[in-house]
Amino acid sequence: MANKALVLELRQIVGRANVLDNMVNLQLYQYDAYLEEHRPDAVVFVHSTEEVAQVVQACNRHGLPFVPRGGGTNLSGGTIPFEGGVVIEMIHMNQLLEVDCSNLRARVQPGLFNLELGNALAPLGYQFLPDPASQKAATLGGNVAENSGGPHCFKYGVTTNHVLGLTVVLPDGQVVKLGGKAADPPGYDLTGLFVGSEGTFGICTEVVVKIVRLAEGVKTLLAIYDSIEAGSESVSAIVAAGMVPATLEMMDQLVIQAVEASLHCGLPLDCATVLLIEVDGLKDDLELQAKAIEDLCMAHGAREVRVAKDDAERALLWAGRRGAFGAVARLAPSFLVCDGTVPRTTLPQVLRKVAEVGRKYDLRIPNVFHAGDGNLHPLILFDWRDADQKARVLKAGMEILELCVAVGGTISGEHGVGLEKMEAMRLVLSEADLRSQRRVKQVFDPRNLANPGKIFPVPEEVLCAR
Amino acid sequence: MHADLGILRGQLEAIVGGAQVAAGIDQTALFAVDGVIPELVVRPGTQEEVAQVVATCYAAGAAMLPWGGGTAMGLGNPPPRVEVMIHLDRLDRIVEWDPANLCVTAEAGLRLGALQEILARDKAILPLDPPASHRLTLGGLVAANQSGPGRLLYGTVRDWLLGMRVVLPDGERIHCGGRVIKNVSGYDMNKLFIRSLGTLGIVTEVTFKLLPMPTVRAGVMGLFPELTQAWTAVKQALESFLLPEALDFLNPAAVTLLAPALGFQATAGSCGLAVALAGSPETVERQVHDFTALFRDGGGTVIPLPTERTSQAWEAIRNLLERASASNPARILCKIAVPIGRTGDLVAAAGRVGQNCGLQATVVAHAGSGVIWALYLPGSEVVPEERVVQALEGLRGKAVVAEGTLVLQNAPPALKRRVDAWGAPGDGFDVMRRLKLEFDPRGLCNPGRFVGGI
Repeated sequence: MANKALVLELRQIVGRANVLDNMVNLQLYQYDAYLEEHRPDAVVFVHSTEEVAQVVQACNRHGLPFVPRGGGTNLSGGTIPFEGGVVIEMIHMNQLLEVDCSNLRARVQPGLFNLELGNALAPLGYQFLPDPASQKAATLGGNVAENSGGPHCFKYGVTTNHVLGLTVVLPDGQVVKLGGKAADPPGYDLTGLFVGSEGTFGICTEVVVKIVRLAEGVKTLLAIYDSIEAGSESVSAIVAAGMVPATLEMMDQLVIQAVEASLHCGLPLDCATVLLIEVDGLKDDLELQAKAIEDLCMAHGAREVRVAKDDAERALLWAGRRGAFGAVARLAPSFLVCDGTVPRTTLPQVLRKVAEVGRKYDLRIPNVFHAGDGNLHPLILFDWRDADQKARVLKAGMEILELCVAVGGTISGEHGVGLEKMEAMRLVLSEADLRSQRRVKQVFDPRNLANPGKIFPVPEEVLCAR
Repeated sequence: MHADLGILRGQLEAIVGGAQVAAGIDQTALFAVDGVIPELVVRPGTQEEVAQVVATCYAAGAAMLPWGGGTAMGLGNPPPRVEVMIHLDRLDRIVEWDPANLCVTAEAGLRLGALQEILARDKAILPLDPPASHRLTLGGLVAANQSGPGRLLYGTVRDWLLGMRVVLPDGERIHCGGRVIKNVSGYDMNKLFIRSLGTLGIVTEVTFKLLPMPTVRAGVMGLFPELTQAWTAVKQALESFLLPEALDFLNPAAVTLLAPALGFQATAGSCGLAVALAGSPETVERQVHDFTALFRDGGGTVIPLPTERTSQAWEAIRNLLERASASNPARILCKIAVPIGRTGDLVAAAGRVGQNCGLQATVVAHAGSGVIWALYLPGSEVVPEERVVQALEGLRGKAVVAEGTLVLQNAPPALKRRVDAWGAPGDGFDVMRRLKLEFDPRGLCNPGRFVGGI
């Protein structure tokens, strides 16, 4: 239970109804989409930058940590209050403040869902390109904090490429505006540094994003394969032919079966993998591109290539991919989503080794992956009530990350480090690299109140002293 | 030479060899920054040598600046001191070139133009096109965040850089990012060093993602008697589905300057719009057609830039201001960045500054990006400095009111002592200052040149 004085202060700032401090409510905020749980001391619903600043200042007075939370979809434990303290719930700050088509910018509050922004822009003929698979429930503030990816990164980049300005409440409660609608503001790129900082540099309360015109045309294809290798080779062949598809997504057999069981998209249950390909841009060459891609897929061993004839068929092909994580929940009570990224051409070899890891630990591992950018999501299935399984899952997850690093990849493509991958950081970063990152954290948050206990592994000198 | 610099010189010679350390004004004057001549110029041959050189200078308390191709050395306030210039031209190796994954890693001293030639053999491009790419090094590209017309479609360094190696001010070597497109393994440290102008350390290696080379390139140029016609065409282009690589505006002085290179006759007073197109034959042909129609319907005269002339034409456009002024110590080159829709207003304001001060104003704007380059050269009359100072401050004021900024990319040092190169630092300055203090507490890396005196 929170200390009474803090709760009183918080109530004064946001009103009694916007502070939760009873046990049942607090339990609802002790988890996200990762596996660990830690209970906060209080949960505060905020409605303005000013309120966020005051809440953060109150946390400073009491020396208590705080963690911002949006949709709670984080997969690495980023929103879990590891050291207790105050969860600052941003979900009511969900206004689309401005759509500025003449400057190709939009201003949003962080609690707006990614999909809501897309839905508001589409009728005007514009779009915000980052679209993580969880876009229905993931907030833009969360996208900023995690530097989220999604299925369109090969062509359009990740969140940071589309964020130009931020209003931030720093960990000491000071409010600063970073960047804005214009390009290249002089000075260090603090906006770029903040994106992906997982709530450890403060809380963003307003975001200026880049918007672009909707593409004139789009073509969606689904190639069906009897082997994963053939699918991966097709991806390499498409890129080698000089094409830059907006999407190159793959799912393996287990995922396809789960998706079919829940969504009935018409995917064949007996194939090894499907590759979802989308090309977009000016309509003049889309038919030709689609034909070239179809030919390449067939030449590299596709069993069949389907081309979506209309929006309804396109939506059906996408529903399978977007619903994949949800559908996998049918296969087991729990799963751990891995998020390694590898150079694209190493995918087939890495996938073979992932299967070996599954056999070694006696675990089923279906796969969903962004083949264009080499980001793979092995989903390790287990039952959270079985402690032995859980231990094996964590070991298997770590081994998969090691595989990714061994071929020149990294430990997280888009889900963040959070609590999950702190120890894996040493696989990709030297002690000097880690030290430099800690120094940046120290500059932003000298009292270590903003989402503490995340990202960094235990320092080497502490390990040695143990 | 200062006594402790004598010791330092010996230490540096022990690291890189005597032949790679230059002293004496006849050898170091070429490396002057805003008139300040370095005491020593040292040319490390490896990244490890850079680290040792930096550590040695840091321990000795010597102010150090990195020098790549020297193309952006005019950017920043005049340095209060320069003891050691660290010349990176020997770091010009490709570390890894992986065509299948469209990813390249190279040392920071490699020239951008040289890199592009290597990539072109495997039909890949790094879609960054700042001026002087044959001299510009990759380290300079990153540290000074240089860009060109193609930023409209492709963005800037921050959109293509995947990883880098940096030598921190105390000589420690770190690695940021990696070689994959999506990477959230810890903080995005690349962003700390892009455009930091060597104030937090020296970039020694960079990794970029790349694009397949477009099959076809072409261009269209429109000449418009009236400014408003050109800006209406820009607005229509931005609202269309069309996806030009670049859409540059040229004021009448720029059009006149460009005409001989492109072989057309400029009508006095006409401004221009130049479009670069790249992609498949079908999309390029369609866009050539649509832009031609758009320019004609908007009252413009169209000059086609067919495929065989495109690269030459854009080479001329990209380098127009650089070639017109590089050898002129009196040049004032401003970079104004504003929200895209305000570009026309600021272009007009930039032109008026020239008239008011009796300076020749040549203005080129990346019209769809909100980035304006205004070059001022002295005309026949002698202009009192006070008037120039007031005019530039006035122009900066207009940029700031439009939620933008004005940066002096090049200017005579005397002028930069009166007009800050960067303008007032914004809200985030306290964090910036503390970052500098954390990484460079002795203030030895490119001191005094960056925003707010960093």
